[in-house]
Amino acid sequence: MNDIAIDTIEVRGIRLRRDPAREPCYKVVRLLTEMRSAGIETPEALREFIHRDINNEVQSTEIAAQMLVDFPDAPWELRMCLARQCWDETRHAWLYVRRLKELGGYRGEFPITNSEWGVTCLFKSLPARLAIQNRAFEAGSLDVFYKMAKAFRDKGDERSAELTEAVLNDEIQHVRFANHWIKQMVQANPRALLEIAAAVDEVNRIMRAMTPQEGEYSIDGVALAAVGRPNFDINVPDRALAAFSGEELEAMLRKEEERRVWEAEERRKYLEQTRLEAQMRSQELAGAGPSDP
Amino acid sequence: MLSVKLRGQNVATFRFIAVRLMETLAAWVPTTPEMEAKLLFGEHIWDCAQHADAFGKRTHELRLPLQHSMKPREDYVGFLGRLASLGPTVERIAGFYRVALPRLGARLRLYLGETDALMDAPTVRIIERIFADQARMIRQSEELLAEFPALRQTDERWVRDFAAEESAIGAILAAEAQAGAHA
Repeated sequence: MNDIAIDTIEVRGIRLRRDPAREPCYKVVRLLTEMRSAGIETPEALREFIHRDINNEVQSTEIAAQMLVDFPDAPWELRMCLARQCWDETRHAWLYVRRLKELGGYRGEFPITNSEWGVTCLFKSLPARLAIQNRAFEAGSLDVFYKMAKAFRDKGDERSAELTEAVLNDEIQHVRFANHWIKQMVQANPRALLEIAAAVDEVNRIMRAMTPQEGEYSIDGVALAAVGRPNFDINVPDRALAAFSGEELEAMLRKEEERRVWEAEERRKYLEQTRLEAQMRSQELAGAGPSDP
Repeated sequence: MLSVKLRGQNVATFRFIAVRLMETLAAWVPTTPEMEAKLLFGEHIWDCAQHADAFGKRTHELRLPLQHSMKPREDYVGFLGRLASLGPTVERIAGFYRVALPRLGARLRLYLGETDALMDAPTVRIIERIFADQARMIRQSEELLAEFPALRQTDERWVRDFAAEESAIGAILAAEAQAGAHA
């Protein structure tokens, strides 16, 4: 474990690494209730989506760069992969900047959050950071980008679809090298596995704390608890290219199915509860009769 | 003419510098607010890494371990430390692109003047490619400054002083390597 100093902030009772530097034009927030809801249905939603992606790519650059800083004794080949990732992520940021301008958007148009940085850079272990950032968050983006490219194309936005596919292609390498190096590091030192497991537990705790609760809304008025987590199918072909094994992919698909069943049940319960509450309110109003003059 | 040993030591020293420049840019990425500067540094991390890698492969061909680095003279290490500790973005851009890179280029040219271009042709090729990269990196920084003039260091004296600090160092090969070369 590296002896590095990590400056943190507290949000909803959990610790996050303090935000990286941003220009004053940005409103940096920490909760989904301070953001616009995610979507691409309207021109404004699409601009927000691209605006959010710019910051995500900037964060990915920062996270990879910080690994170079915090782990100077990492194998040189791994440092080369991280250095290359820095370049890739800057190109992605520029691609999204260009798209945002084409759409008439501008920097600082929407609030941004640096949650990936805040979570990933908390950990003092290189295997843990690679596992959280590259193997979890970036691998998750393989699923998201695959679906988003299709969504853009269905909407007739070929330009955004092509951009998304180009970024998706690069992200495969970032997940692949992390998978390769995590295996190497675990083989060389089984303690790395414990560090990864502890980090995954901590990330799950953070995610639970940050998940919107009932009665919480995005700044554009969307009830966040009712929306739940967006569903993205596991992008099996690209995850396979990114060196997830057949066994790992099968386990992911099983877990995803279990999650969907659980979420569907939770959603059914939520809707039933909402229906009963509305029914009770309407009965109360009917029972109260006309109010006194 | 440089011996194999001296050529290896020079190349290993250049590798040390390239790694340190890569790490400097990496440290600046999260701590620089201006997005364009941040992204410029992020891109050039990869350039410096490739330079270090090419030098590191060459060290192995010159009887040193693969990816071997050699610390330069302490005063040059001090200069690199002062570069890394620059805070304001205008100083970072000026320090890196107007001082550190051009001065390193001058040192690489000096090496080319000392080595045998045929005997040491693989190193010469590496350095020639680095010159092309450095020219592009500096050009990119100029393009950035043309678009965002507020990021330009207007205090020319600061630039001159920082460059003079580097120039005053003289040879950068560690003293023990130089002594060994003369032994």
